[in-house]
Amino acid sequence: MSRKTMVGGATILAALTLWYLLTTVLGVISPGRFPSPADTWTALAQVSGKGYANGVLGEHILRSVMLVSLGFIVAVATGVPLGLWMGWSRRAEAVINPVFLVIRPIPPLAWIPLAILWLGLGDLAKILVIWFAAFVPSVINSYAGVRNLDRTLIEAARMLGTPFTTFVREILLPGASPMIFTGLRLSLQASWTTLVAAELVGAMTGLGRVLNAAQQDLYPGMILVGMIAVTICGWLMTVALGVAEKRALAWNTAAQAGG
Amino acid sequence: MGAIRFDDVGRFYGNKTGGFQALKGVNLEIAEKEFMAVVGPSGCGKTTLLRFVAGFDRPSSGTVSVNGVRVTKPGPERAVVFQQFALMPWKTVRQNIDLGLRNIGVARAEREDRITAVLQLMNLTGHADAYPHQLSGGMQQRVSIARAWVLDPEVLLMDEPFGALDAQTRVVMQEELVRLARRNPRTVMFITHAVEEAVYLADRVAIMARQPGRIKEIIDIRSIRETERWDAHEKIEDVMDLESFVHLRTRIWRSLREEKAMELA
Repeated sequence: MSRKTMVGGATILAALTLWYLLTTVLGVISPGRFPSPADTWTALAQVSGKGYANGVLGEHILRSVMLVSLGFIVAVATGVPLGLWMGWSRRAEAVINPVFLVIRPIPPLAWIPLAILWLGLGDLAKILVIWFAAFVPSVINSYAGVRNLDRTLIEAARMLGTPFTTFVREILLPGASPMIFTGLRLSLQASWTTLVAAELVGAMTGLGRVLNAAQQDLYPGMILVGMIAVTICGWLMTVALGVAEKRALAWNTAAQAGG
Repeated sequence: MGAIRFDDVGRFYGNKTGGFQALKGVNLEIAEKEFMAVVGPSGCGKTTLLRFVAGFDRPSSGTVSVNGVRVTKPGPERAVVFQQFALMPWKTVRQNIDLGLRNIGVARAEREDRITAVLQLMNLTGHADAYPHQLSGGMQQRVSIARAWVLDPEVLLMDEPFGALDAQTRVVMQEELVRLARRNPRTVMFITHAVEEAVYLADRVAIMARQPGRIKEIIDIRSIRETERWDAHEKIEDVMDLESFVHLRTRIWRSLREEKAMELA
């Protein structure tokens, strides 16, 4: 174990001890404000076993992860090509950018009422809102990725007589990919933020629903369980994306380390 | 008829009310399999001339043609070697060289043979699967030359190809290019601001002047090189020691200096 992990582990252990001391031993923090470790454990056992807010923990997680994934995929599948196109074609940029500039400052969460009005409290409304939120960083970063592409590489490709589809696949995409992945990371974060907010407003199952129900039940232990579950899910998906990025950009990390 | 031909070529930046005449009345013919070096002070438009032939830019007046066909866009029959190499960093050496061959529709087996041959020619055997960043600057420029050479282009356009290399590597590359070009002559347009390099490599040297950019003088090197048997010497420093070389170099220097003097006056 490295020194860094040891120090990190010690810090977490200290925080957990402090949590235990403040809530349970010293009673400085009242259990109505912030749950004790024991309360949290009970809540976790409850939601994992007999369930809470229309489902067991696994069901809530599955539902949230599914919605985030769907919204994220739709956003990326539309946002990245649009960003690449805007970056490549001045005409596309001229037409789309004004619309984009008007829509972009709208906070994604402000779309929730409209989405519910259009599609009700079901999954589609949530996917729509995630799409709005996650779309923007995908577009902007893909666009910047193309714009920052070395001009001489484009000239070299043209000089070599590269046909358009080959150009997109072998020059434009890999060249823009470091920025594209930055966009994907931001999109993923936005997807989680938006989903939790959308589920708080209205949902049958999902981690946001757990949080909402726990708040109404004045159940701090369950609120904390919901928060921890959201954090872990978001973190795991970010790690998975990081692994994909590392694989796709092996040439880039090596190139930057090398010089 | 020259392989590369500039007819009264001009380039003007700006609008009706005012602007900048970057190139004016350029007439130049580069014969088939001739190695033409173009030297001149910075800002004289020598790179712009090469970019016209490559099809990256267009003149605002006059025409640029290759083998009688007016240039309108870039293409693999006019291969370019860039000063900054311009290799795709996400492709290996082999993949970089292969791209152009695939684009012109060469069958797989033949592609492999041609890549093997060009790697050997450019002393790159054993580096086929390396990425550009794993290679030194000199090696990267060899890959860039290999990528152009493998296409067997009608003309080879080299834009200060050794400008980004250190002095020692530069000399080695110059010697190799001479061997390559004498053994298997190509139509080459070679942009440089290094006078020695131009004299050592070229059949003829075009000297440019600026404001507006134009061809000032063309100096024949080849006849002198052949009578004085420069190619009998293997090392560049031996050639550079020859009286005939020194004489030509001085002559070109003087011509460039006159330009500078006029600017200052």
